[in-house]
Amino acid sequence: MRFLALLKKEFRECLPWLLIAAIAFLVLGGLALRLMIQSGSTFSYPYRLPPGSAISTFRLTVHSPLITTGVWLFFISIVLGLALGIRQFFLPHFSRTWGFTIHRSINKLTILCAKLFVAAIAFIISLGIVWMVIYWYASLPEILPFPPEPRLFMEGWILIAMGFTVYLGTALAGLNKARWYTTKVFPLAFVLVIIVTTVSQWKLSTAFAVMLIGSLILLSQIIHTFLNREF
Amino acid sequence: MALWIQILPGLDKPIYAQIVAQISENVAKGELSPGDKLPAVRKLAAELVINPNTVARAYNVLEQAGLVTTKTGSGTFISDPKLRTTDAADINMLAERMDTIITRGINLGLKSGDLVVMFKKRLEKFANRQKSGKKKK
Amino acid sequence: MKETVLETYGLTKYYGGTLALDHMDLKIPRGCICGFVGRNAAGKTTAIKLMLGLLKPTDGSAKLLGCDSQNLTPAIRQRIGYVTEGHRLFRWMSIANLEKFQRAFFPKQWDDSFFAEMIEYFELPKNKKIKHLSNGQRAQVSLALALAPNPELLVMDDPTLGLDAAIRRQFLEGMIQLIMQQGRTVFFSSHILGDVERVSDRIVVIDKGVIRADCSLEQFREAVKKVKLSFSDCPPARLDIEGLLYCRRSEKELELILIGTDDEKIKQWADSAAAIKYSIVKMNLEDQFIEFTAPPNHKKLFQWEKN
Repeated sequence: MRFLALLKKEFRECLPWLLIAAIAFLVLGGLALRLMIQSGSTFSYPYRLPPGSAISTFRLTVHSPLITTGVWLFFISIVLGLALGIRQFFLPHFSRTWGFTIHRSINKLTILCAKLFVAAIAFIISLGIVWMVIYWYASLPEILPFPPEPRLFMEGWILIAMGFTVYLGTALAGLNKARWYTTKVFPLAFVLVIIVTTVSQWKLSTAFAVMLIGSLILLSQIIHTFLNREF
Repeated sequence: MALWIQILPGLDKPIYAQIVAQISENVAKGELSPGDKLPAVRKLAAELVINPNTVARAYNVLEQAGLVTTKTGSGTFISDPKLRTTDAADINMLAERMDTIITRGINLGLKSGDLVVMFKKRLEKFANRQKSGKKKK
Repeated sequence: MKETVLETYGLTKYYGGTLALDHMDLKIPRGCICGFVGRNAAGKTTAIKLMLGLLKPTDGSAKLLGCDSQNLTPAIRQRIGYVTEGHRLFRWMSIANLEKFQRAFFPKQWDDSFFAEMIEYFELPKNKKIKHLSNGQRAQVSLALALAPNPELLVMDDPTLGLDAAIRRQFLEGMIQLIMQQGRTVFFSSHILGDVERVSDRIVVIDKGVIRADCSLEQFREAVKKVKLSFSDCPPARLDIEGLLYCRRSEKELELILIGTDDEKIKQWADSAAAIKYSIVKMNLEDQFIEFTAPPNHKKLFQWEKN
């Protein structure tokens, strides 16, 4: 009952951002896809094989109009991450409601979990579902001459996970009780490193792994900071 | 019988003392007679928006001065004047108050004869009030 | 021996190099209404936040309802009502939303009818969002939310700050309602001495992070005295009167602030110091508080010029 009340509250606070992101992605991503299909052009990017492979000198390219959609997904995901992080962890400080939130007949950790859980669901519902809808649409036989690469589908999810990592970094920055130019910037710089590292991976599994490890590091820091900081 | 008590915080006189003074005055004027019941501590506290302990203290002080008696379970009642005790401190305080009045009178230019006449008139007024108060019962 | 519901042991807090709270020792028994008074930035909010585990002490400890403040369990927090400084609530929620939210945390304690009565009494629009309410209305909501679960211990941080007289009165009425119930304790900070005088039975005075007084309101009222004396010549250099806090000298006059000195002893000292005349100045609680926390060399800001 208590946890549910917290979930409802956090969800209601994230809802506007969730909706904006979903609609923006649907419109912009969908529009990009349609424009690409209509113009008949294909956006492509080189798919490098791991070094040491027999045919590394060849550069395979992946052609798909979905790639422009992917670009939109990248940006919207990051913005959603920033927005949710700010909403959940910066705003309570500015509106001085931490005191009201923390003094509850519930574990501090549970309060944090409600926030994290809602943010995760927000990403899955708003961006995940729209991405699945767009991908499904693109895979319809009458839309494209050839079905999109399954790899692209996974890459989309990695982009969504990236947004969640940005959220975690923003959350940590918000929780850190310090001046901007010291500990607040550090988590965001760390997130940037993770993003760059992930994008430069050639294997999906390593990309996911980098994402996961980075997120777990941020998560542990978030939990530690939340349980130990002053409000 | 309606007992109207007013208190003002922020005076140099503590709140409990104000209550004591007003009840004492009411008794002296005959507006409260022996056997009358004082409002319950909690009721008065809620009405005046003050701590019930303050009301309790006032009632205690009145009880020690012999003006009221508390019967557990029933309440606080104005006591029989015959059973009241006075001590030297009370008499002293009375004397001091009389000094204040005499000082004022002299400063206003009144003579001791005038003061005595005034005093007698006020006593008569009190006695009349007490009589009319008893008639109402 | 009454149970202690709020206790601190040498509670100290430094913000960097600034001392905000200096070794505070308190023991508040059950059923007490304690007014925590101090000037602005005296350390009241720091002390309260430390007690509620929202801040970490640099030294010392605090306990609420027998539980260490740094590890208040959910079960203990359930028994404590807290009104935060500035009555901060979720701005996007309506009063009705907040009621539902808060009620979820007190499944067995929440008094629906009491909350409804208060909202009706305060004439608050149930469906209005907090951001559209005035400060006074927000304070009323805050109070209703804190009182409806019938807390054993109510801690309030300057609950009437910035509120008009009518709303302050309502706050006090709410407090009185609560304390009428057995075993409720209230600890509230305030700088409105009139309110403190109405409802408190105990007063704790804090000044610049240091507890200067911790006694019953009566004791404080009876103890703090101001005596004015005038002399034919210079006042005596040596002031060996018991209970002297500080004095102010002028050419032929002396003003003494005394703590706990008998009227008789004052008279004796005045005689022995050959004062022409002396008087024990009447003070109300606010006067006493001001004198008690004034610095010794405090001069009046404006002086009437002699013609």
